[in-house]
Amino acid sequence: MGTPCHFALFNLQPGFRLDLEQLAVRYRELAREVHPDRFADASEREQRVALENSAALNDAYQTLRSAPRRARYLLAISGHEVPQEVTVHDPAFLLQQMELREELEELTDLDGVAVFKKRLKLAQDTLFEEFAACWDDAAQREQAERLMRRMQFLDKLAQEVRQLEERLDD
Amino acid sequence: MAYSEKVIDHYENPRNVGKMDAEDPDVGTGMVGAPACGDVMRLQIKVNEQGVIEDAKFKTYGCGSAIASSSLATEWMKGKTLDEAETIKNTQLAEELALPPVKIHCSVLAEDAIKAAVRDYKQKKGLI
Repeated sequence: MGTPCHFALFNLQPGFRLDLEQLAVRYRELAREVHPDRFADASEREQRVALENSAALNDAYQTLRSAPRRARYLLAISGHEVPQEVTVHDPAFLLQQMELREELEELTDLDGVAVFKKRLKLAQDTLFEEFAACWDDAAQREQAERLMRRMQFLDKLAQEVRQLEERLDD
Repeated sequence: MAYSEKVIDHYENPRNVGKMDAEDPDVGTGMVGAPACGDVMRLQIKVNEQGVIEDAKFKTYGCGSAIASSSLATEWMKGKTLDEAETIKNTQLAEELALPPVKIHCSVLAEDAIKAAVRDYKQKKGLI
């Protein structure tokens, strides 16, 4: 028997659209059930299994809660494994990314950041919709992969926005 | 992670940061990205009539190793012919900068940017 699918661990059908709050609640419930502390008096073998289960649950949760990681995982379980490190040639999109990063560098106040965040969120939501509509269509795999890569760039940009927010908030 | 002195030098004093007019017929632009770390790299070359790279500029949003790799790439490309520039290998960049294994992909990105810039120039001139 192989490792159960990340979605199955949470009793979910594989899909891109996901209620993250529900996922978090379910994760906390499951994490309590498999927590290694509960097996402190169990046999060595049971303790090892508990540790493995706990690690698998954690891994599944971290994968599913992140949109780009979830997208990449969905492609993988549909038979389209894509490498982690790869060079992307997507000129128009990359140019836009560069301009967005330049804009971010210029921001000096939280109001400006808030506006930027709204635009970023909109761009992410559009990508999510597009990906959700095509990931399980074998004829659109290339497009789905491109969208997943774009999500990864926007995810990084969102991290940088959060860091800037923290700096400006101090 | 500890960066080598050469990486820090290029990171703190990047060479050839800037932008050229991408519409200029003598300019080749390479735009590449590494999605896993979100790095975006633009490398541009200006080529003279003899097919020699007169000037090179870059702009990279990414980690110190990515910035250093592209900075070094522009230094090495200047004065080279297109064919010579295309032979620059990521392994040479990584060795010069003493990049650790986990940062090798940054030098791969720089090599891909060189190739993309040369290809863009050749396409503009109808050479390929």
